[in-house]
This record gives sequence, C-alpha cells and structure tokens, in this order.
Amino acid sequence: MSGHARRLAALVVGAAWLAGAAASAQPGLGLEAAEIRRILRHGPWPPPAARDPSNRVSGDPTAIALGQRLFFERRLSANGAIACATCHAPERAWVDGRPRGVGLATLDRNTPTVLDAALHRWFAWDGRSDSLWSQGVKAIVDPREMGAGAPHVAAVVGADPTLRCLYERVYGPRAGGSDEPVLVNVGKALAAFLETVRSGRTPFDEFRDALARGDLSAAARYPLGARRGLKTFVGQGSCGVCHVGPHFTNGEFHDVGMPFVVAPGRVDGGRHEGIKRLRADRFNLLGPYNDDPTAASATKTRHVEPQHVNFGQFKTPSLRNVALTAPYMHDGRLATVRDVVRHYSRLDMERIHTHGEQLLRPLRLSEAEIDDLVAFLETLTDPHVPVGLPPAAAPEACTDRG
Amino acid sequence: MEERRGPVRRTPPEAALTSRRVLGRFARIAAAGLLVTAGVAEACEVPAGFTARERLTSQDVVVMFRTVPAAIEIGRHFSVEAIVCATPPTQGLRVDAQMPEHRHGMNYRPTVATTGDGRFVAQGLLFHMPGRWQLLFDVERGGRTERLATDLLVE
Repeated sequence: MSGHARRLAALVVGAAWLAGAAASAQPGLGLEAAEIRRILRHGPWPPPAARDPSNRVSGDPTAIALGQRLFFERRLSANGAIACATCHAPERAWVDGRPRGVGLATLDRNTPTVLDAALHRWFAWDGRSDSLWSQGVKAIVDPREMGAGAPHVAAVVGADPTLRCLYERVYGPRAGGSDEPVLVNVGKALAAFLETVRSGRTPFDEFRDALARGDLSAAARYPLGARRGLKTFVGQGSCGVCHVGPHFTNGEFHDVGMPFVVAPGRVDGGRHEGIKRLRADRFNLLGPYNDDPTAASATKTRHVEPQHVNFGQFKTPSLRNVALTAPYMHDGRLATVRDVVRHYSRLDMERIHTHGEQLLRPLRLSEAEIDDLVAFLETLTDPHVPVGLPPAAAPEACTDRG
Repeated sequence: MEERRGPVRRTPPEAALTSRRVLGRFARIAAAGLLVTAGVAEACEVPAGFTARERLTSQDVVVMFRTVPAAIEIGRHFSVEAIVCATPPTQGLRVDAQMPEHRHGMNYRPTVATTGDGRFVAQGLLFHMPGRWQLLFDVERGGRTERLATDLLVE
C-alpha cells in the first residue's frame, strides 16, 4: 500500500469516524474516497512559475518593469485615453465590472481577468490568440479596443525617455525599418509583466492540502456549506469535468446554452470565429515572431482546426477568484455567481446545439444546494489577490533621462 | 493520471506472446485462414527499444502502440507511436480519439507521419476532459480502411 493510499484510507476511516461522532461538536467530512481523489486533483496551488518559450523576455526583470509601465500607459491608445488597465483594473480583480468591455467602442464580450493569465492555452473568449503576448498586441491594434497601429506604438515608446530607455535595455537600440517588431516587443513586455499577476492561496487550497496530508482537524475548519457545495461540484454537478485541475479550467471551449445573438442579425461565432482569426493572424505561434527554437509551443496551433461544433462555444473560464469578477459568461449577461449556478441548475437544453456534447443536463438544485455551491465557489477567492498595483518604478539607470 | 479499460479487439503483450507460442505448437495442423492470421501476428514483432503500451489485433491487422509521454495528462499534448503489421501491407494510418459518452472528439487533428517499415508517429493529440476516451486507429490497406480501437480512462 503506497503512502498516498494509506493517507486516503485514513481519511475515509477518519471521515467515517467524524461522521459517526454525532456526540462531538466536530462535523464529519462526509466525503467518499472517490470525491477526495477528485478534490485533490484541484491542487496544489500555486503552480511553479514557468517561462513562456515563445517570448524571449519572459521572466526578464527589466522587461517586467517595462511591461508594467506599458500596462498603465494611456498614450498607447489611439485617443490617448485608454490603457490596458482601463479594462483590466487591478483594483477590481483585473476586470472592469461591466457586462461588456468598453474601449474605443463597446465590445461584444465581457472583459476576462488577467489574473493567472499565463496559465491559459488560448486567450480571449474565442481563443483567437495562442500566446499572451499576441493577445496584448491584438488589444492594442483592435479598432474597438485601443485602436493603435504599430507606428503609433513605436512613436510613443520612442518619445518617452523612460519607456525608450527601458525598451533599449531589454531589446537593444532600434534597428530602424518596420515598426511592427516594436509593436510585438511591446506585447512581449506586457506579457512578461502579466505573467507576474498571479493569485495566491485560498481557503479551498487550505482544505485541499489538509486532505492531502490527512490533517482532519484542519480539514474540518473548512465551512460545512462550502464542503457540501464542493461535493456537488465534484459529484452530481460534474462541474470538474470542464473546470478541471488546479486552475479550475480545461482551457478549452464549450457550448453551455448561452445565447450568442449579439444584435438583431448579428451572431457571435465564438470558437469557430476564433480559430479562423487565429489562423489568419500573422502574430500567431506559426509566424515569424515566435522565439521558441523548438517550435514545440506551436503544437496546439498547428493541430487545431475549426469544426462545426465550435460555433457558439466559448472558453471555460478559471473559477479562481470568480466571486471577484462579476458579471459573468462571455457577454456578461449574468450578474452574480448565484445567477450562474441557477443557469446550470435550470439549463435550457433547447439552447444547446443538437450536435453538441451530451455532458450537460439541468442540475435541478434546491435553493439550499445553490447556496452551498455558491459558498464553495466563494472559497476559491484569494484574500490577498493583488489589487491597486501602481505603475512600476523604472530601474535606476532609466530615471535620470527625463 | 490514467488507466486502460474495456478491451476492444486488443491483446495484451503477455497474452499475445502466449498466443504466439500456442500457434507455433499447432501451426502444422492449423487451417489455412488461421495460418494467414498467425503469419501477420508472427511477423509483427516488437522492435528492440520499443515498449508497446498495448497490442490491438484483428483478423489480419496488428497495431502496437505507445504514447509519448507514457502517462497521458489532461490538457497536455502527446504523441502516439505505432507499428502496424497487415496483409496486404498498410498504405496509411489515421489516428484520432473520441469520448463516446460525451459525443465529441478532440479539439485537435493529429498529423501522422510514417518512418517506413509500418512505423508511424501521430502528433498533436490532446485530451481536454477526464473520463473514458477511445483511441482510434484507421488502417488503410488494399483499398479498405479497418478501425482498431481501445479505451483509455484518463483522470
């Protein structure tokens, strides 16, 4: 019997003991061995930081400092009024709190948080980008978001002494020629910064790790309602099939019965459209700006292909810190976590494609079960989630040039 | 983390070895049809250095395969290396996977390259959900396609 199996057996025995100990004030864990196994797969957290091989400045401290300045830099937008931080506001868990994002125009989709963004395989609700840096580039040039072209971005970086100094320290002096490499380098510096925007441990992680080490008294401190909600999450709800692993997402795309009509006569094609945009994107990982000499990072891009079923699919979001990122779903139509749970409880099967997957069924939860599931989801909140991050101080050598 | 489940026209390597010994013992008195099958199986030996994860068989096709990495993880790309023995010889191989209960396949289309001698490498597979996956091998030969499949339970 392995050490892990012994711990698991001890937990089951312990859980049974606690469940049977009605006379004591301590509640039982009420978890089966299979449920415990599934719960353990949602950790450990946080995962170790990893560099992005497609971005040669990933992890570079000066690039991170440059990226942090650029993230708050409104001059990067065409009208000089919109920074990345305008929509991804640090003080709001890196979202804007609106149903749909507002850049130079109102967008069709809700602004996703950039917390733990580096862990995603695809970026944006439709996965139109295959790297964090190329998603940054797209936001800058999208006419409805920041609306700036490469010449504008190169001019902003070239004209500001601190930005220029940091840029040259990271990438060396500009060689001249096309502005496009500057735009890409700005995207890579932004990505280097965003890789540092990571969430920390949550009450759920404490519970999960207590289970892993067989510490029943620590595990019993996890609120009873949340524990019941977690049981639904890994059991009857099958939520963990898509919201899988420590990041609570499989990083892929699903039709969960949300309407995709944006306006009369206009629909949001979701993943189907995203793959088409990805393939047409000269900044994708199959293009000239991928810094990965092995090209292994482009495996996903090389093998993904649009299928009919992709229409109306949107990315499975992470559930970490979900309580902080209202409103919800790809178009922000659900205001609260409770509304989302109700959606899955009452799921309208008529809205799911007939050729879609057969995993989803209305959960038909009672009000008490909805309370419990919400209570569980709220325990995925990092109480110290990074907020209100100020623009980075420039390294000493770059502060005396202005 | 995963385990295999549900035999679908497959022979574990140990059982295959036993069958080969039995067939060898009674080969002289076997029917002609059986001799053809035995011939394919006999000819399909595991090359040195190739540890097959599984051996799938039909009447006149044998597929031996392994995954790289050996353990399939949810959300991580993996490759399948296959050795195909068939009569008539294999002209091509397609590799795919599906989740029958969920009624969907993978979100990625593997590419298959051959290195000759009935050896193939399929790249770009990714299982994005836990549960029962069916790994599919479509063997093309003599103008026909024959499918061999096996179940993988991935958790």
